[in-house]
Amino acid sequence: MLHPLEETSILSACELAKQVHLNGEALTILKSASLTLTDGESVAIVGASGSGKSTLLSLLAGLDRPSGGEVWLLGEPLSTLSEDARARLRRDRVGFVFQNFQLMPQLTALENVMLPLELSGHPKPEAAARAMLERVGLGQRLRHYPKHLSGGEQQRVALARAFVIRPRLLFADEPTGNLDAATGRQIIDLLFQLNAEEGTALVLVTHDTELAGRCDAIYRLVDGRLVGARP
Amino acid sequence: MSAWHRLMWSLRMARRELVAGELTVLALALFVAVTAMTSVAFFSDRIERALTRQATQLLAADLVLNADAPWPEAFRAGAVARGLELAESASFPSMVMAGDAATLATLKAVSERYPLRGALTVQAGGAEKSAGAPAPGTAWLDARLMAKLGVKQGDAVEVGQRRLTVAGQIVREPDATLDLYSFVPRLLLNHADLASTGLVQEGSRIRWRLMVAGEAAAVADYRREASARLPRGARVENVEEARPEVRTALERARRFLGLTAMLTVALSAAAVALAVRRYLARHWQSVAVLRCLGLTSREVGALFTGLFALLALAAGALGTVAGFGAQALLLTLAAGWLGADALPAPGPLPWAMGPLSALLLLGGLALPPLSTVRRIPAVAVLRVELPARRVGWLTPLAAVFVLLTLTAYLVGETVAALWILAALAGFLAAVGLVALAAVLLLRRLPLAGRVGWRYGVANLARRPALAMIQVVALSVGLMALLTLTVVRADLIGAWRASVPADAPNKFVINIQPEQRDTVADLFALDGRRAPELAPMVRARLVAINGRPVRPAAYRDERARRLAEREFNLSWRDSLPEGNRVTAGRFWAGQGAKPQFSVEEGLAGTLGIRMGDTLSFDIAGSVYKARVTSLREVPWDSFRVNFFVLAPPDWFSRQPASYITSFRLPADEEAFASRMVERLPNLTVIDVGVILDEVRGVVERLAQAVEAMFVLALAAGVLVLWAALTATRDERLFDVALLRALGASRRQLKSVLLAELACLGGLAGLLAGLGAMALGSVAALQLFKLPFFANPWLPLLGLALGTVVVALAGWPLLRKVARTAPMTVLRRE
Repeated sequence: MLHPLEETSILSACELAKQVHLNGEALTILKSASLTLTDGESVAIVGASGSGKSTLLSLLAGLDRPSGGEVWLLGEPLSTLSEDARARLRRDRVGFVFQNFQLMPQLTALENVMLPLELSGHPKPEAAARAMLERVGLGQRLRHYPKHLSGGEQQRVALARAFVIRPRLLFADEPTGNLDAATGRQIIDLLFQLNAEEGTALVLVTHDTELAGRCDAIYRLVDGRLVGARP
Repeated sequence: MSAWHRLMWSLRMARRELVAGELTVLALALFVAVTAMTSVAFFSDRIERALTRQATQLLAADLVLNADAPWPEAFRAGAVARGLELAESASFPSMVMAGDAATLATLKAVSERYPLRGALTVQAGGAEKSAGAPAPGTAWLDARLMAKLGVKQGDAVEVGQRRLTVAGQIVREPDATLDLYSFVPRLLLNHADLASTGLVQEGSRIRWRLMVAGEAAAVADYRREASARLPRGARVENVEEARPEVRTALERARRFLGLTAMLTVALSAAAVALAVRRYLARHWQSVAVLRCLGLTSREVGALFTGLFALLALAAGALGTVAGFGAQALLLTLAAGWLGADALPAPGPLPWAMGPLSALLLLGGLALPPLSTVRRIPAVAVLRVELPARRVGWLTPLAAVFVLLTLTAYLVGETVAALWILAALAGFLAAVGLVALAAVLLLRRLPLAGRVGWRYGVANLARRPALAMIQVVALSVGLMALLTLTVVRADLIGAWRASVPADAPNKFVINIQPEQRDTVADLFALDGRRAPELAPMVRARLVAINGRPVRPAAYRDERARRLAEREFNLSWRDSLPEGNRVTAGRFWAGQGAKPQFSVEEGLAGTLGIRMGDTLSFDIAGSVYKARVTSLREVPWDSFRVNFFVLAPPDWFSRQPASYITSFRLPADEEAFASRMVERLPNLTVIDVGVILDEVRGVVERLAQAVEAMFVLALAAGVLVLWAALTATRDERLFDVALLRALGASRRQLKSVLLAELACLGGLAGLLAGLGAMALGSVAALQLFKLPFFANPWLPLLGLALGTVVVALAGWPLLRKVARTAPMTVLRRE
């Protein structure tokens, strides 16, 4: 079933709300957030710290359930899917890049990149992962464990892991948050370059407006609502 | 994912995890547990076979039938028909003469193929050699008989109407102990000469023995058939009664091995549990990432289940092979006595058991926490979701219980297993409570002093549950180390001392009441301390609680024989040295009213209970009284001991003889000869050979047991390691936070040291107390050794704990100093 309004959208959210209960008190993080994303398009979600950006991202990617509203991801309404069904939906179609990299510490750079390929049953995961790591400039670091890599290198591995499955949609949560300015710029350049080459749609959560400006559209999260649209 | 795809992926992930060192502790703990279990299984299996073999050597055959009349031809034919080897012997007391000298000896006529098992060693022509039956017309004499008759090789002796030439001296006769009067001088002659002695007559007290040997199944078959058709007055020889001392030593050895194996399994289980907990805690984030990348919860479960199953199978297989190797080593240590090289290979059971027990252990311990891991949501990548702490504890407990029971069964010690389980459970509960109380107390103390100490102690007190787990885990590891080093040395020392170096090697029997002073004088003249003389009367048990004792009514063969034979009763006014009262009270002093004290084992066999009234017939008079105490008797002490004791001044007017035992160094043999010269009716029995053999058995088995302890020690070290690495992860974060807040390296060091020292000291103290308790329980309950408690243990534990834990924390400190705090904080 496709979203009734936007036939070509690969992601759309309608009136998303999220409340959490903390010590018996209800805390509203999102009130009514709506957005639409078409194939190959990039949007930025900006907002102050604690405004609920990461929560919104987790709802859009189907990592968490909203208290109200609906998300259509790759044509599927997420509210009708179980957590496992949502996981299967993400597999080999959705990529992630996180602020704290989230590499598996017990796997080498190469093995980390091979992981999503292995999960999707790729015939030659090692060759593909190797090629991807070379693309992000880490051809010499294949056998290194994350703890032996710098922050910038770890984020490159994370980018390689996200793009190696040629995802239709990439979620990036503050990808430069843990990096110094110069390294952060390199990572962002690489992210947009891969994005353009692969034609991936992108949801970028950031508090950096300059970075957000590189996207096709910017949404601002204010008081639990999304404001703004395509330029 | 297809099942095949999933399996291959699990395999790859397992390899990666192993390479990254994530599974090291877990794999090692499993390996050690399986090695311990299988080596004991293999060893037990083979030692049982060795025991049987040893037993057959004492019989000089696989099976011996004993009768008071010559055996009917049908019994010989039955053995021959089954392809069994056959030999015969006939033994009886008779006078042997040489010139003017004559003495009573036990004569034994043996047929051509004697002995079928074991070896008869004789000295002939100045050299020792293995021999069979003496040639017709000749005889082997033992040293005592040659000395008494004053004959040497080549001389003639007269036996009944037959003259025999002395062909050599008996050095060792495998089945000598089967004869009731084995301590009387002995003479071996050829079975073919028996008739010509003219001593085989109606009424002569000859024991006719039919000996068979051969394939185990055929022997068992023959035994069944023969037992069913035994003539009156015939029986199957039972070897266990022949050597109670060796039996005691072996049983202790098995208990030591059992205790060690169970301790190893329990410790390994603790290490596995800790390692699994840490492993899954460390993989919390990784699982969230996997969920994010599209893995379903079932696939997550399958991944870790597959990974653990592979690990269990691999560690199980390697452990089994190592267990076989360890067992081979144990056997080498015990080999001189057991004759291990000729033993048949162990059965298939231990081979299958290794991998299975690894699966059971890991399955039981890992599946419950795994079920919580399966439920980790993908959103945990974005925010720290607290792990669900409630993990089922029934499954792990059940798994460990099953495993310990299995080990106990393997070593044949189910009761011991229950004791160990109870002791461990009690220790865990007690340590947990004390640790919690101590930590809560720390929290309430007004903290003064330097920054390091203050923060260190506060760190510990801040998370009482975690501190409790750490103290418990550390003290289990430390207790294992203490038990296995200090307590083990004490226990084995006590075991070795149970056959003391000054154990008596001579028994003197047949001392008449009026000769007591002469015997005392003989000792005094020689500058020796006179040993205690114990009175002894022959008595027959005629009734229990007024009901006549009928041997035939006992189903147990041993009980039947005990009921049949005459007892040696003794009287005395105090509990004999080394005996322990297990029920009731032993009388004290002169003038106690008539009553009996019975040896525990005998009471069990004959069904005698405390308070029963026993009637003994002594030379025609019946003596009746109640059983007021049961005693445990240290048969391996080689002192004079009695099954049944009574107070003095009751049947002391009955004809009694006296018996005593003492130690005589080998080079002072002359004293025994002087004693017999002066009082020719005395018989001096030399038990030196048996004593040496028992001591040798204890010595070798102790070595084998010590080798086994090394495994348990490894398990203890693993627990310690697992506990320390688990606490390390927690500490790393704390320290990084302090560092980020501007603490100097010096301050950090003191915070960490204070915390670790506190933790280690507390754990060590508790471990010391635990080891002391465990050692005492083991000594009393399992090994029936005298109670002892090493008072240094708690202090030693305190010191060991503080030092070990502080030292183990040292690399952590260096690591923290080198790592940027942000890296650590970010990763959490």
